[in-house]
Amino acid sequence: MNMMQRLSRVDAINWNRLEDDKDLEVWNRLTSNFWLPEKVPLSNDIQSWNTLTPQEKQLTIRVFTGLTLLDTIQSSVGAPVLMDDARTPHEEAVYTNIAFMESVHARSYSSIFSTLCNTRDVDDAFRWSEENPTLQMKSELILSRYRSDDPLMRKVASVFLESFLFYSGFYLPMYWSSHAKLTNTADLIRLIIRDEAVHGYYVGYKFQQALAEATPERQQEVKDYAYELLLELYDNEVRYTESLYDEVGLTEDVKKFLHYNANKALMNLGFEPLFPSSVTDVDPTIMAALSPSADENHDFFSGSGSSYVIGKAVATEDDDWAF
Amino acid sequence: MVALALARGDQALARSLVDEIISGRFQPATPTFLNCGKQQRGELVSCFLLRIEDNMESIGRSINSALQLSKRGGGVAFLLSNIRESGAPIKRIENQSSGIIPIMKLLEDAFSYANQLGARQGAGAVYLNAHHPDILRFLDTKRENADEKIRIKTLSLGVTIPDITFELAKRNDDMYLFSPYDVERVYGVPFGDISVTEKYHEMVADARIRKHKINARAFFQTLAELQFESGYPYIMFEDTVNRANPIAGRINMSNLCSEILQVNTPTQYDDDLGYREVGQDISCNLGSMNIAKVMDAGDISTSVEIAIRGLTAVSEMSNLQSVPSIAEGNAKSRAIGLGQMNLHGFLAREHIYYGSDEGLDFTNLYFYCVAFHAIRASNRLAIEHGEAFAGFEDSTYALGTFFDKYTDQAWLPRTEKVRQLFERSGIALPTQQDWQALKASVMAHGLYNRNLQAVPPTGSISYINHSTSSIHPVAAKIEIRKEGKLGRVYYPAPFLNEANFDYFQDAYEIGPEKIIDTYAEASQHVDQGLSLTLFFPDTATTRDINKAQIHAWRKGIKTLYYIRLRQSALEGTEVEGCVSCTL
Repeated sequence: MNMMQRLSRVDAINWNRLEDDKDLEVWNRLTSNFWLPEKVPLSNDIQSWNTLTPQEKQLTIRVFTGLTLLDTIQSSVGAPVLMDDARTPHEEAVYTNIAFMESVHARSYSSIFSTLCNTRDVDDAFRWSEENPTLQMKSELILSRYRSDDPLMRKVASVFLESFLFYSGFYLPMYWSSHAKLTNTADLIRLIIRDEAVHGYYVGYKFQQALAEATPERQQEVKDYAYELLLELYDNEVRYTESLYDEVGLTEDVKKFLHYNANKALMNLGFEPLFPSSVTDVDPTIMAALSPSADENHDFFSGSGSSYVIGKAVATEDDDWAF
Repeated sequence: MVALALARGDQALARSLVDEIISGRFQPATPTFLNCGKQQRGELVSCFLLRIEDNMESIGRSINSALQLSKRGGGVAFLLSNIRESGAPIKRIENQSSGIIPIMKLLEDAFSYANQLGARQGAGAVYLNAHHPDILRFLDTKRENADEKIRIKTLSLGVTIPDITFELAKRNDDMYLFSPYDVERVYGVPFGDISVTEKYHEMVADARIRKHKINARAFFQTLAELQFESGYPYIMFEDTVNRANPIAGRINMSNLCSEILQVNTPTQYDDDLGYREVGQDISCNLGSMNIAKVMDAGDISTSVEIAIRGLTAVSEMSNLQSVPSIAEGNAKSRAIGLGQMNLHGFLAREHIYYGSDEGLDFTNLYFYCVAFHAIRASNRLAIEHGEAFAGFEDSTYALGTFFDKYTDQAWLPRTEKVRQLFERSGIALPTQQDWQALKASVMAHGLYNRNLQAVPPTGSISYINHSTSSIHPVAAKIEIRKEGKLGRVYYPAPFLNEANFDYFQDAYEIGPEKIIDTYAEASQHVDQGLSLTLFFPDTATTRDINKAQIHAWRKGIKTLYYIRLRQSALEGTEVEGCVSCTL
């Protein structure tokens, strides 16, 4: 507690006096990545949606309700508690952006539902999410860390959520997209992944800064605690994955994907990976579908894809018009 | 089957077409390739361009045309410049019109409804003049946070910009926007048929024309902002296009890929939506040649001629009665668009950098040869049929002035390397005497096709044909492409090997200037347009985009297609390793 210097009073934020350049870099990245679900022509997936079996449809809706829950947690609890621990006013501002974008993500799943599914199926899935023990356990594990008064553990929980827990859900749309199904939905999910990647990275970065200032004993304590939490989350995540994916026979592949992302989350925190590479060999089609860098080639039949950003406006000078 | 259908019983032509298609030298456009010879099929034509006039009959007809043409064929573009602005009077009652946005909404919905038996989604574009009063509203439909009611998601936008807009921006002046309603009443012709550059000062001085003004540089900046967010709008440099147009009449719009540039005339309707006078709208049959394969085979004369004959067959076989103005335009003009692809693949294979002096030299001379043989093939067709396209006598082909640039000077290689390339493939460059002879024959017998060349972006067909798209550089050494039915597809550049690896710089490395310079070399020999996409890293600003646009305009580029941005993943968040190769 005492090693974090909390912001006791509110000062007007001056973006021209930066204490940490990373704040501005991430702020710029996040704002230029701003998007809304209306950007993606989801309705182009209706035909493809209709080719899924009822079982596959149910799985997809359930996966998305699970993701909705996580985004809701992150938006209404996660980002606001991180805000309290902010070291600089700029960091606080970044969290306000993160909080808002998480709401946009949660909203996006509803856009998918209202475009593709009928209301009864969606209501059923939300009821399922309320009753599913592993999903509720997952949210409980994270929420309890958020409510604890250890700012370092709050960050750990946040990174695990952003970089690890989301991915059991992200697997499915990437899987569909690699099988040429729901490709526009996958575009939208890719936009979400693009954001979550930055969120997890940034919170992890702030975590590492804070951890470096702690005593060696405290550092070891936090590290042990983080691995403990990860294992706890992992056990639960495996059960959650089984409950979802067993029916379609994808569980083993999803698990590899979990391992890969657990390592990624640990890396964001500055810790060594936990799973050996022999169990993180994710199907390359999934990894390729996941790639957030935007080297996709479009033509006029594609949607707007995941590559457009809000640009920097600079007025032209007389020199530019010298002709 | 495609060749048999196109040859229509002419055995020799069928054999030649088979030869050209199988060898990969000529590749018909997707609609032709997809539909030819099938009993239940869509149309063979890629692309349609229609005017909309400033009355309800024409607007209603255009929605119907959008449905009919999407059902049968490729993309449809509409001209909105003639439509009165929002707030314009209806029946002389002020503030009644709701402008162009609701029409765009209707069109967008029409396109998403119709597809060719699910084979291809309907797709459309709309073009608007920069000096139309609704121009900013038009652009704002593509904003990220636009209201759902006005937001346009899948419809493509294009803006036509006259020279005067650049002049005004140069002086940092305001630009006036003119009410199409008033312009039509004053001049008696629709706004789209007026040259804004020519009439600008006259219209500014004319009190009968309602107008308001915006800052010209701010307009260009807004344009670039929108291109950042959405890649749109396309740009057509209106005066450049009309100066280069050999055909009598005015070009006021382009199409969904911004390579078709043809004249059109308005249609008039009766109250019951019948046709009082059928105007001419535009359709275009496209096909592309593989530059590397053509150079390897060495008989460019035959390759071009067979391609022209194949495309002409598509025009003659097309039955487009559902939209009479299109059928009329097609019957009278037999316009076709012969494109080229695999330029970057060829250059890299020959160890020439894209956009280098040698690269520009080659582009210039290759297109020079194509122009000659295309005109000669169309001239031969005119002699065989004893008939030229309608309006030939008013064209600069008939006047002979079109040929001045070829008969007044010799076109020769500037670099040793390019001279050797043509020598090796055995392709002789047409001489001034060749052009003199061709000129005499064209002036005597005419051309069968009103338009001959247009360089499309070639998405699917260049992948099938194993070539790089159009005359663009590659977007990546291994391109990722989203296919409607297949999901993501990975495509390594053709001929890519360790020796020429460095020559496959991607479009973002090459940068906009070299792409523009390459296109400028080709443009001077192409009677229609070329789809030109510009590529920027996400660190670019709107000013960089504006600068590229100014450069393009000065270089005599006719149209600009998409603006593409590449955002590199934030350090620490990228997927590790290259995954494309493991697939």
